[in-house]
Amino acid sequence: MRRSWLKTLLIFTGVAFMLAFCLVPFLYMVVVSFSTTPEFLTPGVPFKFTFDNFDAVLVGQSLHFMDYLRNSVLLSLISAFCCVFIGSLAAYAVTRLPVPGKMYLLFLVLAVSMFPQIGLVGYLFKFMAALGWINTYQGLLLPYIAWILPLSLWILVSYFSQIPIELDQAGLVDGCSRWQILYKIIFPVAVPGIFSTFLLAFILAFNEFMYALMLTTDYRTRTIPVGITMFQGLHGQTPWGNIMAASVITVLPAVLLAIIFQRYIIGGLTRGAVKG
Amino acid sequence: MPSRNLTSVSKSAAHELRTGCLFILPLVVFIVLFVLLPVLGTFINSMFQDVSFVGKRFYFFKNYEHLWSDPGFFKALKFTLLFILVSVPFELVLGLLFAMLLDQHIPFRGLLRGCVLIPWAIPAAISARTWELIYNYSYGLANYICLTLGLSTQPVNWLGTSVGAFSAVVVADVWKTAPFVAIIFLAGLQAIPRELYEQGRIDRANSWHMFFRITLPILRPVVIVALLFRTIDGLRVFDLIYVLTHGGPGGSTASVSHYAYMHFVSGDFGYGSAISVVLFVIAFVFSIVYVKVGRFSTEVL
Repeated sequence: MRRSWLKTLLIFTGVAFMLAFCLVPFLYMVVVSFSTTPEFLTPGVPFKFTFDNFDAVLVGQSLHFMDYLRNSVLLSLISAFCCVFIGSLAAYAVTRLPVPGKMYLLFLVLAVSMFPQIGLVGYLFKFMAALGWINTYQGLLLPYIAWILPLSLWILVSYFSQIPIELDQAGLVDGCSRWQILYKIIFPVAVPGIFSTFLLAFILAFNEFMYALMLTTDYRTRTIPVGITMFQGLHGQTPWGNIMAASVITVLPAVLLAIIFQRYIIGGLTRGAVKG
Repeated sequence: MPSRNLTSVSKSAAHELRTGCLFILPLVVFIVLFVLLPVLGTFINSMFQDVSFVGKRFYFFKNYEHLWSDPGFFKALKFTLLFILVSVPFELVLGLLFAMLLDQHIPFRGLLRGCVLIPWAIPAAISARTWELIYNYSYGLANYICLTLGLSTQPVNWLGTSVGAFSAVVVADVWKTAPFVAIIFLAGLQAIPRELYEQGRIDRANSWHMFFRITLPILRPVVIVALLFRTIDGLRVFDLIYVLTHGGPGGSTASVSHYAYMHFVSGDFGYGSAISVVLFVIAFVFSIVYVKVGRFSTEVL
């Protein structure tokens, strides 16, 4: 009896530490975003509540936050959608159809996902510059999709391989083409897998930094992660309140997604990582 | 009847092959055009003197020769390796601890798992800015905690000294990636059959023994996967450095990626490419190890 009491205490302490470790920087971000000054921790400076930071970020034009937000959301949505679509086609072929060298393809794709981005970005910059695609959506989208496809493929292959092949055979007997089988039979059955792939692809695209840094030049295509590093005040002082307000707005959807859909995200991550 | 079946089978075999290739084609095109081609291009570029507004000239291995005698490059390489050596063990230990906690039957388990995902789900650039504020010398949270708890008698100059900046980068990286490691470990823990622990209890093994005799050995392949994942990811660290320390102070926290990037930005594509190629080769060696180990881990799991 005493042992189990001790165990409960240990687990409780551990969980408290874990929560503090994971949440304190995030909570600090939230508190600063509502403060008139970031200096409220120094003695003699009181904490004063304000909405001004959010006002500056959401309504003010000079920071271009809304532009960055629009670019980030659009680019991530389109990339995630394309990755799921292209990835599903390939995953279906790899798990169901006689494709020569499919193991090589899977390992090539795995190796590709280990490449350092810096080894690609210099050439991509020249490539996009030659096409005149610097600072365009397509100039970012195409590298994004290629960059996120490997993980998408691995997750989808792991989901699709668990769907019984009898379903396909039933479809073939009914005279469906492979394409019809994919979207009429496999897609509905694989909804959880497709959803977690979509979520992960979205998060990866949303968090991407280096391509966005090299391949954009201003607010018309720049994404939030890059935009937020360029927030500057009028007098050279770092506008911490504005930065934290922008961070809170950006991060809130991700936080909610993580909490609501943790099951799908964890499912996708473990399939992408462990099964690989 | 059977003969008709046979021809339709052979006809459909060719058809299936064509469909299969067609389904794979978009993926292959994307990866070839926007991953493999750039890698090849970078490699070719690394053999050229390729500086903006200066003519392009075939250089053969001159960039690499220069690299070999470039103290800046070795400084960046040393930082990157040291960064991995220090941060990855912390990430694995914390990740294992978190995974074991999340594996317990505790209330609000789903919510807790969601909370642990938060650091991972936040863009690195955004969390790096928050860390920048946390490490602020005069009003940041880090110094507030250190002074309040009496860990230090005067404020620590986190981002202004090389030791401080190194620790700052390590802490921020551990914060972001320990959750990812925890999720991988959690899957490994859940795959362990509960009967093993029952058996252990019957044999009167204590928790300590069970951890070292049952949990860790079964988890071994997962640990290796996480280790290599984190190593390769640590090798290419960029966002965090770029935002939090800008490679400073005095280039003491410039990673190899950051060092190459600085050359790209200053217009020296040839030399930047050569640095990238070296990083690429190092990562590739790790990838081979990963694929080798990964294959045996799929058998075990």
